[in-house]
Amino acid sequence: MTDQVISTNGPSPRPGDRIGFIRNGGRFLHLLVRGALLQIVTFGFYRFWLTTDLRRHLWSRTTLNGENFEYTGRGRELLVGFLIALAILVPIYLAVFLIGIWLENLRAFSSLLLILFMFLFGQFALYRARRYRLSRTIWRGVRFWMTGSGWAYALRAFGWQILVVLSLGLVYPWYARWRESFKMRNTYYGDAPGAFEGRGGQFFKRGFGLWLLTVGGLLALGAVAASFDWIRLEGKEVPRAASIALGAAVSLWLLASAIAYPYFRAIEWRWWAQGVRLGNVSLHSTLRGGQLLKLYLRIIGWVLLLLIGWIVIGAILALIVHLGLGDLKLLLSETSARMKSPGIFHIAVLVVAVILYLLILMSFGVVQRFFTMHELWRIIVESLTVENVASLEGVIQRGDATSALGEGLADSLDVGGF
Amino acid sequence: MAMEGSGTFYDGLSNKPHKVVVRLGPTLEIVEYGRVLAGWPYEWVRRADSSDGSFRLRTLNGAELARLIMPDDMFAAQVRKACPRLDVEDTTSRTATGRIILWSLAAAGSLILTGLYGIPYAAEKLTPLVPLSFENYLGEATDKQVATIFNTTACDTPDGTAAFRKLIGKIVAPANLPVAVRASVVRSNIPNAIALPGGKVYLFRGLLDKAQSPDEVAGVLAHELGHVKHRDSMRILIQAGGTSFLLGLLFGDVTGSGAAIYAAKTLTNASYTRDAERNADGLAIEVLQSLGRSPKPLGELLLRVTGPEDKGLMNLVASHPLSEERLQRMAAAAPATAGPPILSEAEWQSLKQICGPAKPSDKTNDKK
Repeated sequence: MTDQVISTNGPSPRPGDRIGFIRNGGRFLHLLVRGALLQIVTFGFYRFWLTTDLRRHLWSRTTLNGENFEYTGRGRELLVGFLIALAILVPIYLAVFLIGIWLENLRAFSSLLLILFMFLFGQFALYRARRYRLSRTIWRGVRFWMTGSGWAYALRAFGWQILVVLSLGLVYPWYARWRESFKMRNTYYGDAPGAFEGRGGQFFKRGFGLWLLTVGGLLALGAVAASFDWIRLEGKEVPRAASIALGAAVSLWLLASAIAYPYFRAIEWRWWAQGVRLGNVSLHSTLRGGQLLKLYLRIIGWVLLLLIGWIVIGAILALIVHLGLGDLKLLLSETSARMKSPGIFHIAVLVVAVILYLLILMSFGVVQRFFTMHELWRIIVESLTVENVASLEGVIQRGDATSALGEGLADSLDVGGF
Repeated sequence: MAMEGSGTFYDGLSNKPHKVVVRLGPTLEIVEYGRVLAGWPYEWVRRADSSDGSFRLRTLNGAELARLIMPDDMFAAQVRKACPRLDVEDTTSRTATGRIILWSLAAAGSLILTGLYGIPYAAEKLTPLVPLSFENYLGEATDKQVATIFNTTACDTPDGTAAFRKLIGKIVAPANLPVAVRASVVRSNIPNAIALPGGKVYLFRGLLDKAQSPDEVAGVLAHELGHVKHRDSMRILIQAGGTSFLLGLLFGDVTGSGAAIYAAKTLTNASYTRDAERNADGLAIEVLQSLGRSPKPLGELLLRVTGPEDKGLMNLVASHPLSEERLQRMAAAAPATAGPPILSEAEWQSLKQICGPAKPSDKTNDKK
């Protein structure tokens, strides 16, 4: 804003660097509810504009040294990206479908091909969608942008993920390092290049305890269960107490793994923030696993509350229809029988049922998005501290806005994204 | 009235902030130390997203990323008044939302019209072009889907199967089919019979249990042969597959996996059009007449299965002509001369027993 102190250029760290988020959950919720209702009216087409509105809200309320970010993407661009993605995907699906039916012996092969295609396209889409979002992000009149081949990323990500599965997740930290490094190496703010300096070993050390608890625990439980089977094969009895103990251990393991997940995410996030560089800017995050766990519990709580609410409303509606509308129903069905056409009453019931179903679906979507977008964003931004923003002073505008093809693909393939 | 205010300007070329004075001259003038950095014509000025409490502007005829940031004060209110098209691109405004709704409805409308008229027409024209070998493959695929919904294990006893073969043989001859029919009685207790693409016909034991004479069973099977002959299942598959593929496009499921399953399900619901049903009835009548048997029992069986068709919710989705109507048509088509019975009493009894003794619960479901 106008009271900014402009210092001379130079990499000297300024203690005043601050990143913040201006809370306005009410307006975000308003956008969500309005968008949900509009999606029903527009047969879902409004989703492109809703996504854009939500991003604009979050970006513009995030400030770095008093100057807010700006999201310049538009719903129209997402719609075009979606249509282009359709034009690419539909022929592929049709071809694979026809191959599968026509050449029966190639059917297994073709569905394998489809899965591979889907996966590669999914990774490509994730990369390109990030590129789109980044190139629509403006701070101080200069845009962030990205280069790099989406296909190169997708192919390598495929290889890495095979390794991750084969190593039971132990390789994941190095995959994450490669992934973030690939993305950040190709990321720029104006002419300031990004980099990633996090190390896989570091992440491994911090996450190994959780790996032992979850994957290690599963292996141990599996081994115990197998040994029980072996004892039974020998014809001997497994003590009842031992079987009960195994059952208890399994439930304990399930609970512990569920709780471990947010802690793992927090470790990964802190590690990521620590490794990211943009010019000389570095980040630090104090995000705790407990904060994410609390967020998940809040989602579960609200979903349950919503569920109870809808059940009550459903019961009341059923009661009203049953008690109050009996005569009306009879009247309408008699008239329609005379007219030899489907009952008006039944069409009305069908329409009301469909609308109610969509409303229920949308209400859960609103809850989910409020927490996984607004609240998650808020928690993460509030956990951040930034250093050396002064080193970005005088950055020159470079790079162009990229198309929304990646977003379209991500939308049609239903792979994550923001 | 103050004609100028202060602000921060980014020229869109670098991120260096300029402390500027903003003047309402012939254009919106942005001045740094007495030097005009930019003059933005008022009608090109647009609002940029700002955090609450500040006022940010951009222009359409200058650097794309140039931004002017001002405190949201009295002067900002004057600037707002001076820029006539400040908010025309606001996508949350009433007009913009109205336009999105209108276009969405138009797009949805055209997709629905395509689904209602375009696809049935295309299915009509495409069905004769589909090679029979392809139809066979489709039939196999659908068969697997059907097997996940119904119990389609075949019933088989030596006498029962012999009787069933005899009955099929008699009705296939006058039906003049383009493909070989493979018919069997299956264990599902639902009173129904279905024809799959490629000439596979399933008679469910639920229907066999409700049948009271060989004529009734022959009628039902001849009706299904009608669907086979007119390739109705192929048509419905193209149609349902196409329609749900369109719906999938609308709601974002491009993979068409939902479409394939939905198409198979439609087939098992026997949602043929009324015309297709009338044509299949037509073949059943023709076949029974050529055997010298009255088609009336078929109509009676249908009525027994459906019950007197009321005005329930089903009417909205049911595609069969009303059973009463069909019974009338069949009763009117009784042949002048009666031929020999299709099966002997002994053969009929062994056919009835092909899946074991009838389940008593089915008897209580009978409406007449």
